[in-house]
Amino acid sequence: MEQAIDFKGRIKSKLGVNPQDATISLTYFTISFATLLIGGILGLIQGLERAGLYQLPAGFNYYQVLSAHGLLLLVVFTATFTMGYQLANLSHSFDGLLPKVRKMVWIGIVLKLIGVVLSVTTIVLGEASVLYTFYPPLAAHPIFYVGLVFLVLGIWAVSFGVMINYRYWRKQHPSQTTPILAFFAMGVFVLWFFASLGVTIEVFMIIPWVLGWIETINVMVTRTLFWWFGHTLVNIWYLVATSAWYVIVPKIIGGKHFNEKLIRLVIILLVVLNIPGGFHHQIIDPAISISIKFLHVFMSLSIAVPSLMTAFAMFYVLEKAGRNKGGKGLFGWLKKLPWGDVRFLAPMIAMISFIPGGAGGIVNTSNQMNQVIHNTMWVVGHFHITVGVSVVLTFFGICYWLIPHLSKRQLTPRMNKIGVIQTWIWTIGMAIMAGSMHLAGLIGDPRRTSDTTYAGHESALSWLPYEFVFATGATLLMIGVIIQVYAVFNMMFFAPKGTTEFPVAEPEEDQPKVPMWTERWGLWAIVLLAVVAMAYVIPIVDMIVNAPPGSPPIRTW
Amino acid sequence: MKQLKYGIILYIFLILPPVANLLESIMIFHMHTQMPLLVFTGFLIAPFSQKKFAHFFDKWNQSGVPGIVLVILIWSYWQLPRAMDDALTYNVVEYFKFISLPLLVGVPLRDSWKKLKSTGQYIFLIFIFATLVITGFIYIWIDQQICNNYLIIEQQTLGWGSLAMAACLLLYIGYRLFENDEAF
Repeated sequence: MEQAIDFKGRIKSKLGVNPQDATISLTYFTISFATLLIGGILGLIQGLERAGLYQLPAGFNYYQVLSAHGLLLLVVFTATFTMGYQLANLSHSFDGLLPKVRKMVWIGIVLKLIGVVLSVTTIVLGEASVLYTFYPPLAAHPIFYVGLVFLVLGIWAVSFGVMINYRYWRKQHPSQTTPILAFFAMGVFVLWFFASLGVTIEVFMIIPWVLGWIETINVMVTRTLFWWFGHTLVNIWYLVATSAWYVIVPKIIGGKHFNEKLIRLVIILLVVLNIPGGFHHQIIDPAISISIKFLHVFMSLSIAVPSLMTAFAMFYVLEKAGRNKGGKGLFGWLKKLPWGDVRFLAPMIAMISFIPGGAGGIVNTSNQMNQVIHNTMWVVGHFHITVGVSVVLTFFGICYWLIPHLSKRQLTPRMNKIGVIQTWIWTIGMAIMAGSMHLAGLIGDPRRTSDTTYAGHESALSWLPYEFVFATGATLLMIGVIIQVYAVFNMMFFAPKGTTEFPVAEPEEDQPKVPMWTERWGLWAIVLLAVVAMAYVIPIVDMIVNAPPGSPPIRTW
Repeated sequence: MKQLKYGIILYIFLILPPVANLLESIMIFHMHTQMPLLVFTGFLIAPFSQKKFAHFFDKWNQSGVPGIVLVILIWSYWQLPRAMDDALTYNVVEYFKFISLPLLVGVPLRDSWKKLKSTGQYIFLIFIFATLVITGFIYIWIDQQICNNYLIIEQQTLGWGSLAMAACLLLYIGYRLFENDEAF
């Protein structure tokens, strides 16, 4: 009997992603990497303009480019990649998506595309230079916000589809825990749905305001609702990246994944504790009292608990795999890891970068230290390390096995080599750019500012050398983008036909049974809501009851 | 024993003057954070007490009903605005809070929960829901300061917080009613 189950399990692990679902994921990746190319070019333009090495053509301005760069990369690129990857994981885990879920996903793709076209068009037309954060009092053209509504509807269509599919599988498999990659997908989409509630309320407050139906808007409330979503979005990417760290990387290095109970606990904690972390983005905001800010430091730092659990678990898995391959001494196991395999190298560098990224995050979360760096390039450096390396390099690493798997092609040694070169160019480029941004921020270089020469003031001029370094890093990153986009489309359409493994690690021997209580997603969602309610009720009531007169729409460009 | 250790550590943390002062300085944290956390320490201590005083619990709380009645009485007392005021004004009431919530709410609640049938559990959950809704509406719509130690804005915040928690509890009751437990 046990043998039969084992055989079934092995057959299932070879099945991979259903071909119809593969088309969905490849569609998402096509949109994602086309967006990366455009967003990357805009990033380079900004870097060069900031350093004074390039002047934008007439009719375009720095804030317009910055808005497009932020929206395309932070919302469109990451979201579409996440969906393509998570749906592939779900299809692999559940032997294919349900036909009605597939339909919902396609509807989601169409809605998102409509949303992106509407929002980006208004930016291109110079009607929405409101930056990625788009909160009042800056006001864009109403169509920009309508586009955002479509984007959110697209996310909801996929989220509900995933939840329906998950529940269906649970009903068909009573007393069984879901495969770990499906559990990750459920965590991602539950978090996404609740994160988007904040921004949805915000957008529905903004639309009547920009249409002139109401004269003023409560700026603090909308900022708070934005960061409810904005900060959680960061942790959605992080949760997606950890799914590859925990489950894919161990298989690639020939090891086993860590105790599943811990992995599930990390996912639940990341989902439940996440949303109130948004308050540390508002530490400088005057309308929140010091005691509330102090209590929110705990809420933000609580994310460090599952993060540290992940760090210890991953070091255990890596060391064990290295030692099994004959690694000796304190660090000898490191040499035994497959550094020449891009599927490992990219996520490994991503994990390493999370150490400085996380440390920078603690600085940002701490009240006093945030006062020093809040409006400086430090923050820009911070999210280029966390998103640009920890998340994006993991995404890039995933491409090298998932895309050939989906397109039924091979990852050739040549493509692997290209991937390794790309990874190093990206790492060096980002280390140069994000590192210099951190340093420039420490000496006061402001973020979100087109011209920082301040009439030739001595202090302002001392930032210039760092800005040249940003531009150098941005150039390397642009080369990295071009290579990555080439690699993705090559693996999608031109690589030799064949099969590529979907690498899912198995648990170690003699692991305890995975507890069924972890499957109670309804309960986790209610706990999440209770945590959010407790975190938000004080500041929101205060902001509404003691509201200032409010702000009319402001257009600064 | 692990739970007992965690319970004692959490209890000591909560009664530390700076922690207690901070939580009590904001009305909603006083009622919806400090008090539930004190109950939670009792939850963690309960298995040790149940083992140590097994005979006592068997004799006095065989059906779980006496325990839950005690929980309802003590919890209801701490819902009174006057009780919160007294805890801040009189040390004796403050000590009573630190003793009563873990030992007379947390411990008997955990002991009674499994002994109660599903109906009993629902009655208790509905009681807590009703308490949250009633206190929530009172705190939001009364235009007088009902606690000497807290401003009206804090009262209103607590009211909205109570309604939000009531909504979460209602979702939980619905989840329990409609979730097919056999699937798990």
